[in-house]
Amino acid sequence: MMSSTVAVDSCLVLSGISKSFGGVHALRDVSLDVRPGEVHALLGENGAGKSTLMNIASGAFAPDTGTITVAGSVLADITPTAAKNAGIGMVHQHPAVLNDLTVAENLRLAVPRALLNVPGGARAAMQAMLDDVGCSAHLEDRVGSLSLAQRSLIELTKALVLKPRVLILDEPTAALAQDAVELLFSRVRAAAADGTGVVYITHRLAEVRQLADRVTVLRDGKYRGTSDVADVTDEELLTLIVGRQIESTFPEKAVHAASDSTFLKVTDLSNGVVSGVNVSVRTGEILGIAGVAGNGQTSLMASLAGLQKFDGSVEVNGQSLSPRNLRDRAAYLPADRHREGLMMGMSIRENAGLLALKRFLTGFLLSSRKEDAEVGSELAHLEVKAPNMDTTVSSLSGGNQQKVVLARALLSQPHLIVADEPTQGVDVGARAEIYRILRNSAASGTPVVVNSSDALELEGLCDRVLVMSRGHVVEELVGEAVTEDRIVSAAVSATTHAAGAGQGERATTRWSRFLKGDYSPVAVLAIFIVLLAMYVFSQNDRYFAAFNIASMLGLVSILGFISMGQTVAFLTGNLDLSVGPLAGFLVVIASFFVGAESTVGQIILGFLLMLLAATITGALNGVLVRFGHFTSVAATLAIYIGLQGLSYILRDGPEGIINSDIMSFLKTKWGPIPAAFVVLVLATVIFEIALRKSRWGLNLRALGSNEAIARTLGVKANRVAMLSFMTVSWFVFVGGLLLMAQIGIGDPSQGANFTLTSITAVVLGGTSLLGGRGTFVGTLLGSMLLIQVLNATTLLGLAQWSTYFAQGLLVVGAAIIYHVIRTRKQAVQ
Amino acid sequence: MAVDTATDLPASAVATRAGFWARMPRGLITVVIAVVALFVVSAILAPSSVTKGPLLGMLPFAAVLAIVALGQTLVIQQGGIDISIMGAISLTAIIATHGPGGDDSKVFPSLLAALAVLIVAGLINGFVVGRIGLNPIIATLGMNALLYAMVLAYSQGIPAMNSGLLEDLAAGLTFGIPNAVYWAILATVIVTVAVKRTVAGRKFEAVGANPTAAWAAGLRVKNQQMSAYVWAMVLYWLGGCLLAGILKQPTAYQGDSYLLPSVAAVVLGGTSLLGGRGFPVATVLGALFLSQLSNFALGLGVSFAVRTLVEALALIIGVGLYTINWKGIRARLSSRPPSGKTVPDH
Repeated sequence: MMSSTVAVDSCLVLSGISKSFGGVHALRDVSLDVRPGEVHALLGENGAGKSTLMNIASGAFAPDTGTITVAGSVLADITPTAAKNAGIGMVHQHPAVLNDLTVAENLRLAVPRALLNVPGGARAAMQAMLDDVGCSAHLEDRVGSLSLAQRSLIELTKALVLKPRVLILDEPTAALAQDAVELLFSRVRAAAADGTGVVYITHRLAEVRQLADRVTVLRDGKYRGTSDVADVTDEELLTLIVGRQIESTFPEKAVHAASDSTFLKVTDLSNGVVSGVNVSVRTGEILGIAGVAGNGQTSLMASLAGLQKFDGSVEVNGQSLSPRNLRDRAAYLPADRHREGLMMGMSIRENAGLLALKRFLTGFLLSSRKEDAEVGSELAHLEVKAPNMDTTVSSLSGGNQQKVVLARALLSQPHLIVADEPTQGVDVGARAEIYRILRNSAASGTPVVVNSSDALELEGLCDRVLVMSRGHVVEELVGEAVTEDRIVSAAVSATTHAAGAGQGERATTRWSRFLKGDYSPVAVLAIFIVLLAMYVFSQNDRYFAAFNIASMLGLVSILGFISMGQTVAFLTGNLDLSVGPLAGFLVVIASFFVGAESTVGQIILGFLLMLLAATITGALNGVLVRFGHFTSVAATLAIYIGLQGLSYILRDGPEGIINSDIMSFLKTKWGPIPAAFVVLVLATVIFEIALRKSRWGLNLRALGSNEAIARTLGVKANRVAMLSFMTVSWFVFVGGLLLMAQIGIGDPSQGANFTLTSITAVVLGGTSLLGGRGTFVGTLLGSMLLIQVLNATTLLGLAQWSTYFAQGLLVVGAAIIYHVIRTRKQAVQ
Repeated sequence: MAVDTATDLPASAVATRAGFWARMPRGLITVVIAVVALFVVSAILAPSSVTKGPLLGMLPFAAVLAIVALGQTLVIQQGGIDISIMGAISLTAIIATHGPGGDDSKVFPSLLAALAVLIVAGLINGFVVGRIGLNPIIATLGMNALLYAMVLAYSQGIPAMNSGLLEDLAAGLTFGIPNAVYWAILATVIVTVAVKRTVAGRKFEAVGANPTAAWAAGLRVKNQQMSAYVWAMVLYWLGGCLLAGILKQPTAYQGDSYLLPSVAAVVLGGTSLLGGRGFPVATVLGALFLSQLSNFALGLGVSFAVRTLVEALALIIGVGLYTINWKGIRARLSSRPPSGKTVPDH
């Protein structure tokens, strides 16, 4: 039935593609052609190689062999940019959007400028793009606060506006509710009608029937055939999808005695992702959980392990266990061993014994004799291959690592074993042993639940299997009925849709957007500053005297510029501790060149040297962080200490009076307002706009928000990061000039305080240390508030301690308030 | 080191323990070598720096740094950092001197009062970081300001003389060695035993090494993270008490000079600022290294400035040893592919 003739006018031809990862063949000699105007479904089980194939087509991976031909010409080098330029657009299953940026900013980063320079303006153009896919998000909504469905639609928008020759969709409906799915389908059909070749990756036969013109099936990384959808029956497709050879040997299944009762009973378990799960497992049985990846299996496993709260009841051997009980008594074997399973840097012994430590106690202390004996015998029993038990687990193979997780589980004497993908990344020999261990546990009366994306494994291992689709159990298979065919057919034939998501999504209001936005801290600070000013004035009428205003704003200018620099560091997710000592060091340099008797040439040379020192400092910080892989704290801490040392080498005490003409120029005042403050306000406004509108600002925030995604959008991470570290130092340079005018002498002990004060000011302004979110305006107000508090304690005649008290309370209070506002809306997700 | 290929291992090999040396963490070995090398270089280039007088002058301060750095280690291994170490040391030193006002009988009540205040501060730090989820730098920065507010409210910033008892306890000599050193050794032993040999300590290590995995294994991650800040405060308290005894008249800002060196000592000891495993003994040796480095520079007659520069350099080299992918650089520099044992690609 299957033919694979390559049409001459194909818009995308993949031929002879092979790819292996670490010796495992993901794809073997796979070919595919896509014609303009067709929807081409790519069908196959979990791990059949569909996503890998399309990641190669979109340039994310380079194939080991094979070629990609787009519209008749072969791609010379296979990179994301080359694929994009050739007209291949891809919509990932997990939307590659930047959560800290708004919808508009995400579009601006992804869409070529030409498409936005249209009559009517960029905003209207972007709004039209959103309307076109039926995305109801507001342009100013922060993407992180949107539902997964909305984010998928934004991802689709980004791909569609480029009018791609080939559009690849990787299981786009997994998170969508029925109405959103239909909207998506109509957009896909429209794109195809315009002549785009659409590749649609799916697990669902129903979707293939609804949408596709042709279908290609992959199995085990191999091409199984291509056909017109109209010419092939569901049964024929199923035979192509399933039918792998059994690789491992499985232990005997449970043999039931008449006296057997139920040792695991789940009643009406619902947790927000899965709903209404019911199952009774007879003593000795292994329960399998099946389904297309991402249909609630992981969430069900998490609930059974007590890691996710749930409604309903779980009874083990007649005893009802709450989520809290399960957390203590169930042993969980996570799918992602590296992230969730093991402490990679610790030894086998420390990992395996972790949950059984109480048994090794002699008095208050652990007895190594007991620990070595018990852990050692369990490890030997499981046949973990390692030179000794002090071997670090990161040096073990996947199979041995999984056995360490199993050893930890068994040593904890669990009431229930919950194993998520227990043989993923495990070699064939170790697989059989893991099956044997799980079977022995079930036989000895501990219920075992196994989630696996490998239907064949479930067939071999399990006595009972629940097939999940979009959070519901669509089929329960028992005994003889547990076969790969039945499991796969139940999973791919399911037509249920995600509950709720996308439904009743209300548009955000201006007020809610403001609250979640970057500018709410600004408003809070402004109100606070005004109130504090009014109060202090009511107590002391010298508050608004020209002298007081001038002295306050003078101090704000110094702190303000340094804090603007710190803001840049925060925005990229870094921290610059070196700003304070750098400011001090610059003044020390100035004290040699900008003296009372210095010539104009010397003074200019002095300023240039200061600028050079600032630039070198920023570059050093950047190199240590980006290329030396230092944390920004470690890097800038070292530079902090170094700069202080340099200051003391140049001057052992206050020495070198600064030129008074230069000082009075820098301290120019217009009325009570220092010129420097006016410049600071102007700089704040300019940089604020640049942060929102310019490419520089978008790149900076994209990098701080998520480096990996920013890279795929073409942000040159190293360059942006290096520039940002230098920008920090350039702001400090300006602050250093003002500090020089303020203290008037080269004093090596000055400046360092600005490090912590600038961090405080930036935090008050609402910029997040995690990167991606913040404002310069907030930083300016934060600096003002700090100086105001300092000034107020003097004017109110308060003791010195109250300044510290106010600072401490302000920074922690502000941080907690901003943090709570931001995390609450995420919790709703 | 790869062991995957070792399929010919006896099945029971895993039940045995590694040899003593094989169990030593890399950071510890590095820092031991560094300390020994430093003392050898000191003896050759500045023999005066390893004579009795300078050593007796250096050791009490090294002890204080070691103790507070142990506290910083606990916080850093949980992925945090504690800026309030400055305020905590200053406050302890101030209460320890102002409280008794020279009266030996009032020393212990004052010390206990300081301990109580610090424990409360640690609980707040732990709550704000562990429970609310605030960034540790910001939370402890705020706490630092609050502790300094207490310092100034209590003392108006005026130093006071310590009492004879406190001086004896900290700076007195036993068998010719300053008492502070014994306190530091005691603190090191207690921290090491608590972390390595108790149930809570081992879970504490596991949470630091991988909080996600610890959570999935059912451990109480937030409580463990909270406890780091409290135990750290107890150690700062001990350091602050000793400092008050050593200095006769500690100033209100005495703790300021301990933030950077404490972090530096932790980092030199091989504990990552991103969290993970903590190495208490290595931290203590890192503190000794930094103190002897100053002492050595003093012996050479170079200025405070040069000493500071050398410290910065030591820190960069120390971190670089652990973070920079030297293998990759070596592989890139040498034209032939790396030979011998390589880690198989998983």
